[in-house]
Amino acid sequence: MEAVLEQVGQLPALLAVSRSALVRDWDPLTLDRALEWARYFQHLHDRFRSRPRLREALGRRLRRGQPSPLLGFPHLGRCPQLLGLALLENRALSPAACRRLLHSLLQPARVEADPEPRSLELLARRKAASRLLGLPRGPLRAPEGLEPQVRAEAQLLVSRLREEEEEEQEAKPAGEAAGRLAWLSGVLELLPQPRAFEVVAAALLLVRQGSGAEQARDRAQGGNSLGGNQASATGDDCSAGPLLSWLLGNLERFSAFCLFLPGSLLASLAGHYSQFSKPYLDLLTGWGSHLIYDPLQGQWVKSCLDKAGLSWEELRERFSCLCQGSALLRGQTQAALKLLKAQNGDFKVRGLSVWTDLLMEVEDLPGSRVNDI
Amino acid sequence: MAQDTAVPKLDFVYWLDKAIKWGQSTTPESQKDVCLHLPQLQEFLHQVYETLKHTDSIVAIQQFPLIGQLLGRLCWNPFVMGYDESQKTLMCCLYCLYSSEPQNPVELKANSWIRSLLCHLLSSSKWESNEAETSTFISTLGYTSADYYCHLVKNMVFSLVAELRENQVNGLNMQGRVSGSRENAVSLFCVPLITLPDLTPLLETLLLYQGGAPKESLSSEFLEAVNDAFLKKKISLPESAVFSLWLRHLPSLEKATLHLLDQLISIQLNSLEEVACVIKDSLLPQAASHPAVFRIVNEIFKNVLLETGGTPEVLTIIQVFTQLFLQCHQNETKQHKFPLKAYFPYHHQPLVTALLRHPFELPTTHWSQHLKHISDMIKALVESTNISSLADLFEIWFLVARFGEWLDIAAEQLLKAPVEPDALLWLLAFYYCPQNENQQRTQTMVEAQAVYNRLMVLFSCTALSIKDLEAAVHVVTNAEQSHTQHLITHLLTNFLLFSSGGHMIAQEFIYHITEATDTNKEVRSLLIRTAYRINLNGEENQRTVKLLNELLQKLTLKV
Repeated sequence: MEAVLEQVGQLPALLAVSRSALVRDWDPLTLDRALEWARYFQHLHDRFRSRPRLREALGRRLRRGQPSPLLGFPHLGRCPQLLGLALLENRALSPAACRRLLHSLLQPARVEADPEPRSLELLARRKAASRLLGLPRGPLRAPEGLEPQVRAEAQLLVSRLREEEEEEQEAKPAGEAAGRLAWLSGVLELLPQPRAFEVVAAALLLVRQGSGAEQARDRAQGGNSLGGNQASATGDDCSAGPLLSWLLGNLERFSAFCLFLPGSLLASLAGHYSQFSKPYLDLLTGWGSHLIYDPLQGQWVKSCLDKAGLSWEELRERFSCLCQGSALLRGQTQAALKLLKAQNGDFKVRGLSVWTDLLMEVEDLPGSRVNDI
Repeated sequence: MAQDTAVPKLDFVYWLDKAIKWGQSTTPESQKDVCLHLPQLQEFLHQVYETLKHTDSIVAIQQFPLIGQLLGRLCWNPFVMGYDESQKTLMCCLYCLYSSEPQNPVELKANSWIRSLLCHLLSSSKWESNEAETSTFISTLGYTSADYYCHLVKNMVFSLVAELRENQVNGLNMQGRVSGSRENAVSLFCVPLITLPDLTPLLETLLLYQGGAPKESLSSEFLEAVNDAFLKKKISLPESAVFSLWLRHLPSLEKATLHLLDQLISIQLNSLEEVACVIKDSLLPQAASHPAVFRIVNEIFKNVLLETGGTPEVLTIIQVFTQLFLQCHQNETKQHKFPLKAYFPYHHQPLVTALLRHPFELPTTHWSQHLKHISDMIKALVESTNISSLADLFEIWFLVARFGEWLDIAAEQLLKAPVEPDALLWLLAFYYCPQNENQQRTQTMVEAQAVYNRLMVLFSCTALSIKDLEAAVHVVTNAEQSHTQHLITHLLTNFLLFSSGGHMIAQEFIYHITEATDTNKEVRSLLIRTAYRINLNGEENQRTVKLLNELLQKLTLKV
C-alpha cells in the first residue's frame, strides 16, 4: 500500500511536467511510460472508488504538499484524458513522441468502449454535435437564462465542489474553508465577470433545483459520471456555501451581479436561498431610495445618472419577479415594501414615495400564484 | 491521375470541389447535399485511410497533393465531423500524414498544422477565440474537454427538446399557421448525429412532434436516416416514436416491411419461433394496429407474394405475421381500439369473423363444423356471379391463405376426425387451386378424393409398408398440375405424422415423395408450421412430436 501511495504522490508532478517544456526531452518510450502510468492511475481509481478508506488515503496523499486543492481522488479516474490532452496541447513535445501520442489517442490500447465522458471516443463527435445543434438560432432563450454552455460550465463547477466535499470528510479547520474560497475566487476570475456571474447563478440553481433530477438521470445512465459520488442534502448545502460566500462577500461584486442578471433569475435564487434574498432586498432598497420623482416627465428617475443603479422600470420588474415567486418570497417582499412605505410617510397617492408606487404596481399583478418550477 | 492499378482510384478532385462548395454556402439546399453524401464520403475517407496506412507520409503527400486541403476543409464542416465514424477516420488520416522525423521546414509546418487541427477537434482550438477562457476554466477545475462537451451536448439536447415542446403547445393555442420551419431546420441538423446516443431524446421529440401543419414539417432526409438507423439496429427508440415515424413517412414503412421480409427469407429459419421472434422485434405487428399501417403492409405482402409466385416461405411469414398482429391487438389495452373487422373492410364480414376466431378459442370437437362453415361461405362467394375478376378471387384467396392455421387444421382434421370430409377437402382444394375456369380445381378435387379415400382406409393400420401407398405415390408423381401435387403431398405428410402406422415408413416415404415431386420446401414449411402449432398447444402424443422433429432434421440437412 505504501508503494501505491508513493506512486500516486507522483501524479501532480507528472501532470505538471506534461504541461511544461520539460517534455522536450521525451522520446516515444518515455511517452509510452507516461501514458501507462496514466492508465494505471485510472485503474487504481476504478478499483478503489467504492472503498472509502482507501479513497481517503489516496486523496490525502495527492493533496499533500499542494498549496491549494488542485487534485483529488477523482482526478485519478480522468488521468489518461488529462494527460493525453495536456500533451497534445504542449508544443514542446518532439515529433516522434507526438506521433506516438497521436497513435495512442486515436487507437486506444483498451478495447472496451467507455460511454462515460472519460473516453475520447466521442469527443470529436460531440464537439461537432455542439456546433450543429447550436446552429439553428432559436427565438427563445433557454429557460431562466441557463444557456447550454453556461449550464455545462456550472455543472462542472458544482461537480468539482461536490468532489471537494467528498474529500473533506475530516474536521475542517477554518483555514481550510478560507483556502477553498480563495481557490474558488481564483477559478472564477478566469472567466470574464459577466460570464462568471451567469455560471455562479446557474450553479446555485443546479445545486438546489436540478440536483434531484440530475442524480436520477445520472443514476439511470449507470452511475454518476462525475466522480461516482452521491451528494446528500447537506452536501448540496456545502456546495452552495462557497458559492454564496464568494457572491455575498464582496458588496461591489454582489451589486454588479444583481445589476447584470435578469430579475427572473435573481428571484429564483432568492426563492431558494434565504441568505440571498435578504441582501438582495437590501440592495434593491438602496437603489430604490436613489430614485426621485420628476413631475415634468411624470415618472421616477435616477437622481445621479453616473452612479450604478436601476431605473424605475427595472426596479419595478425586479419586484414583480420577486412577487411571482413562492408564497414565502412574495410575503417577504410585500412585507418589506409595506414597511418601507410606512417609514416613508405612508402615502396613498402616486408620485410621493417610490415605495407606495411600487407596492401599488406589485399588488396589481394577477393574484393567481405562479407554480414553482 | 496516374495511379497504381492496385490502388483504388481516389477522386480527390471531386470531393475537394464538394468540400469547397459546402464551406461556401449555408443554405438548406447545401446542407441537404452534405447529408446526402455523408455515407459515400465516409467510405471514401476509409479508403484513403487504408491507402495511407501503408504509405510513408512524404510519399503520401506527393501522391495525393490535394489531401491536405481536403482534410482541412472537411474538419471545419460540422456535418461531416458529426457523422458516424467520419471524424475518427479523418483524424486517423491526419495521424498518417504526421511525420515523426521532419526533415525540412515544409514537413515541420505540416506537422504543426496537423497538431493545431487535432487540438481544434479535440480540445481547445486556437482558431476559436471564444473557447480560450472556457477551456482554462475547465482545466483549472480539473476536467477535460471530454467532460465539458459531454455535458454541453446533453444540455443542448435538453434545451431543444424543451423549446420544441413549448412550440407545440403554443402552436396548438395559436390560431393560424405554425410555419414548421423550426423543426424542419432542427431535423436537418440532426441527420449526421442520429447514431449519437445523447440525441435520442431529441429524436423522440421530433418524431412525436405534431405541429398542426397539414404537410410534413420534418425533413425527409431526417426521417429516412432515422428509419435506416433503426432498421440496422444502430439506435433504439420507444415504440411510439417508431410508429409515428412510419405513419408520417410512407417510404420508411415500406422499407421496414421489405427489410423484414429480406431478413426472414435470406436466413434459413428452422422454427417458427425464430420467425415470430424476428417479426416481433421489427415492431411491425404492433404498428399494424393502426389501420393505415396494416393496409400498407398488407399491400406489400400481396405484391411480394405475387412477385415470388407464392412461395411457401413468404406465405408462412405472412401467416405468422397475421397471428402476431392478432395477438398484439388482443393485448392492446388502449381505450380506442379498432374492431378487428375494421382491418378487413372490403371482405365478406361473416367470413372475416369466422377466420378471426382463433382455433384454440373453440374446443377441438367444434373445429370441423367451423371449418365447414368457412368452406361453405367461400364456396358461396366464389361460385356466385359477383366474383367477376381474377383480382377479386385473389383477394378472397389471400384472406383465407393468411389464416393458414385453419387450413393446416383442416388437413389434419380430414385424417383425424373426418366429420365433414367433403367441405374440408373442398377448402383445401380451393387453397391450392383457387381458379376453376378450366375445371382445374374440380380435377384436383377428384384426384385428391381418390387418394384421401385410400388414406382413410389405411389410417388405423398399425403396420404399413411403402407398397400400400404406391397408388397414392403414383398419383402424385404423375399429376399434371402442381396444385394437385401440393395438396396430395400435404395429405400424405399429415398421414405419416398422425396415422397409427405411418411412423414406420415415414423417413423413407418422405424422401421418396420429395425427390419425385420437388416439394421439399413445401413439406419443410408444413412440418415447421405443424411443429409451431403443436408447441403452442402442447397437446400431441410424443411419438408424433419425435417423428416430426426427425423428419424436419432430415429435410433441413438435404436443403
